[in-house]
Amino acid sequence: MTTDNNVLIKVDGLQKSFGDIEVLKGIDAEIKKGDVIVVIGASGSGKSTFLRCLNLLEEPTGGQIYFEGTEITDPKVNINLHRQKMGMVFQQFNLFPHMTILKNMTIGPMKLLGKSKAEAEKTAIELLERVGLADRKDAYPSQLSGGQKQRVAIVRALAMNPDVILFDEPTSALDPEMVGEVLEVMKSLAKEGMTMVVVTHEMGFAKEVASKVVFIDEGVIKEENEPEEFFANPKCDRLKDFLSKVL
Amino acid sequence: MTAWIAADFATFVQMQGKEVVNSFKLGWQDFVDEFTRNFINEERWKWLVEGFGNTLLITFLAGLIGIALGVIIAIVRSTYDKMGSDLKKRGGIGYAVLAFFNAICNVYLTIIRGTPVVVQLLIMYFIIFASSTNDIMVAVIAFGINSGAYVAEIFRGGIMSVDKGQFEAGRSLGLNYIQTMIHIVIPQMFKIVLPTLCNEFIVLLKETSVAGYVGTVDLTKAGDLIRGRTFSAFMPLIAVALIYLVVVMIFTALVRRLERRLRNSDH
Repeated sequence: MTTDNNVLIKVDGLQKSFGDIEVLKGIDAEIKKGDVIVVIGASGSGKSTFLRCLNLLEEPTGGQIYFEGTEITDPKVNINLHRQKMGMVFQQFNLFPHMTILKNMTIGPMKLLGKSKAEAEKTAIELLERVGLADRKDAYPSQLSGGQKQRVAIVRALAMNPDVILFDEPTSALDPEMVGEVLEVMKSLAKEGMTMVVVTHEMGFAKEVASKVVFIDEGVIKEENEPEEFFANPKCDRLKDFLSKVL
Repeated sequence: MTAWIAADFATFVQMQGKEVVNSFKLGWQDFVDEFTRNFINEERWKWLVEGFGNTLLITFLAGLIGIALGVIIAIVRSTYDKMGSDLKKRGGIGYAVLAFFNAICNVYLTIIRGTPVVVQLLIMYFIIFASSTNDIMVAVIAFGINSGAYVAEIFRGGIMSVDKGQFEAGRSLGLNYIQTMIHIVIPQMFKIVLPTLCNEFIVLLKETSVAGYVGTVDLTKAGDLIRGRTFSAFMPLIAVALIYLVVVMIFTALVRRLERRLRNSDH
C-alpha cells in the first residue's frame, strides 16, 4: 500500500468478467483527495463497470482496490462500512419511491451513523436548501422532475458525509433542459473540494471541472491527462476518433 | 275469430295470473315456514353465527401465519438466487447455511403444493397433533402452513420485480443486505403484491370450508349440522353459500378499490 496519505482510492490491475465476456482487462488508477476524475468512453467500453467496481456493486474478478488504505477487495473486509464513505449517484436516480424526500435523506444517517431523527433531519434540510428543494421535503420522488430527483439523489449521498462520490452518468436520463441544474450542483461540489469520480458524456463539464480526464476503451485506460491537454492534443487514434464524434 | 282468440287469451292470462299469485303466496308461506324451521327454531341461527366466526378466525390467523412464513421463505429463496453463486465463490460457512435453508424451503414448497389441503389437515389433526383437542388451532396451523407456500411464491415474485436499482441504492449507502431488504425492498414488494395477496386471502377463506373434516364447526359445517337436524338441505346450504358469496364480494370490491388507489398513486 502506498504511503501517500493523499491517495484516497488506488486501483491495481482491476479485472471484471461477466461469464466469458471480459469487460475490464486490467485497470490501474490513483484517485487523490480533491480530485475530480471524469471517465469517458463509448458505451460498452467498461466505464460504468469500472465505477461500479469501486464500491463493489460489481465484484471484481481480478486485481485490488484500496480505499483509504484498506484493501476493500479482500472478502474479509466489511464493505458496508466503507460504502458509507463512498456516495453514489445513479443514472436512474434510484430514490426510494415509498419514502418522502426527507426520509430518503435521513434513512442512511439514522440507520448507519447513529444520528437522531432531529439531527438527521436538520442536516437533510440544510442540504436540501443548498440545492433549492427544502420546500419539497415532504413530497414523494414521483412528484419531482428528473432534475429535482437527481439533485435530491446527490444530497442524499452527501448526507452520509462521504469522502468521495461516484457519479454513474448522472445526466444521461434527464431532459436536456434539466441537465444544467444538476451539473451546477456537481460543479459547486467540485469547487468545495469534494473528491468525485464521474462517468459522463458531458464534455463541457469535463473541460471545465475535471482535474483529470480518463478515456476507457476496450476495458483498459487508453489515455489520461489534464483536461486541456486531453482535449487539445489527444494522442491515441481511438480517442481522436471518439472526440471527433462527440465534440 | 281473432277477437275470440284474444278473449280466450285474456281469460287464460287471468287464470294463470291467479295461479301464479296463489302459488307464490303458497311458496312464500313455505319459505317462511322452512326459514323458521331451519334458522329460528331452537335458535339454530346461532350455529351459523358461531360457524361464521370460526371461519373468519381460522382465515385471519392462518393468513397471518401464511404471511410470516411467506416472507421468510421468499427472502431465503430470493437471497439464494441472487447471492448464492457469489457466496459459493467466496466459500465459508455462509453459503452452506444458505443452501441448507434454501433446500428446506424447497422441500416444504414441494410437499405443501403437491398434496391436497384436506389431506394436510387430516395429517395435522390425526397424526401430528393427535393429542390435541383444540381443533380450531390445528386448523389454523394446517391452513397457515398451507397458505405460506403460496404466499411465499407471491412474495418471491414481488421481491424480484422490485427494480434492481433500489437494492443497489440501498447497498451503496452502506446498508447491509438485511437492512436493504427490510427498509427498501420489502416495503416496495408489499405494494406490488397487495392485490394478489388479497386474492390469496379470498382463496384461503373458501378453503377453510373443509375444516369440518376434523370436527371444527366452521360456517360450512354449521350449515351441514342444521341440515342433519332439520332434514332439509336447501335452506341451510344455500344460506351458507350466500354468506361466503357476500363476504367474498365485499373483499373483492375492497381489493378493487385498493388496486385503483395503488395505480393512482406512485407512493
